[in-house]
Amino acid sequence: MSRIKKISLAAGIILIAIQFIQPAQNKTGQVLPTDFAKVYAVPATVQSILQNACYDCHSNNTNYPWYANVQPVAWVMANHISNGIAKLNFSNFGSNTSRKQISKLKEISNQIKDGEMPITSYKLMHKSARLSQNEKTLLMNWLQSTADSLSAEN
Amino acid sequence: MKYTIIGLAISVLGFTACNSNVDNKSADKQDMSQHEMKDMNMHDSSSENPAIKASESININSIITYYLQMKNAFTKDNDKEAATAGNEMVKAFAAFNKTSLSADQAKIYNDIEDDAKEHAEHIGMNAGNIKHQREHFEMLSKDMADLIKTFGNGGQTLYKDFCPMYNGGKGGYWISETKEIRNPYLGKAMPTCGTVKQEMK
Repeated sequence: MSRIKKISLAAGIILIAIQFIQPAQNKTGQVLPTDFAKVYAVPATVQSILQNACYDCHSNNTNYPWYANVQPVAWVMANHISNGIAKLNFSNFGSNTSRKQISKLKEISNQIKDGEMPITSYKLMHKSARLSQNEKTLLMNWLQSTADSLSAEN
Repeated sequence: MKYTIIGLAISVLGFTACNSNVDNKSADKQDMSQHEMKDMNMHDSSSENPAIKASESININSIITYYLQMKNAFTKDNDKEAATAGNEMVKAFAAFNKTSLSADQAKIYNDIEDDAKEHAEHIGMNAGNIKHQREHFEMLSKDMADLIKTFGNGGQTLYKDFCPMYNGGKGGYWISETKEIRNPYLGKAMPTCGTVKQEMK
């Protein structure tokens, strides 16, 4: 066997082998009492944007695409999701102190305004995460006014 | 030979659905943190309660020092110095001695620290992105104002300043050790924009 054949054989075997090592998926299926939609009166329009553009990496329930079962994609994805959840988790948003909730609401708005979120690699694969200016404005206005009314309460 | 391997690889892709659904651990923590949250809300208006006023032994000087260092870095548009101050501030929060705090004071302190430390961390990690650093600085300034309100100014007169132009006209507060305005949000572009709103004695 030539060198090239040996290398491609080895690569093929590795590729097959890693398919059997799958990370656990981020899917609980349950809605916690501290869920964002239960803590705030979220308008349906806002909720649907969050659902489509944010929840895959910032909630306990990811809506996985078909290629999520292909390695090494699954590992990269699992890594993105765990980082995302660590910074912001809509599924238990209400477990933050109200001070922190205000900060997070403002930061979500800032990240959208600055075009930092949703991240580019995610937008490439998810058409619904490419927010229009109208969607951004709607979302930012709601986030800001919710943050402001919370600040006024405290 | 090559084609056999590739064919084999592709066919295996179809059989790889051995994913396990593991429940998310965060669910366990819910009850506890909700109670904590309620407690904290009750004590937000701390300064009106004389029992929570600062005592001599409580010293937030090092936290204030790094905040002011950060603020001064922003007035010079210096993202790297701001990041350094942010990292030092995280350490100052960690080093703060909570043992002399009463239960009520500890609650207020923990509430503020929990939020403020995250802002300081972000500022520390984001040298090169001063816009993002300043967004966190605005939120951090709110925390600092509350911290000073509860635990005192550490012996130096401080001023709560306001810049009406920051954040698209929403404005932003900051705390300064000088009466003279030096704007940390607009930096060198508009160094004297803003007004003193309050003297924090």
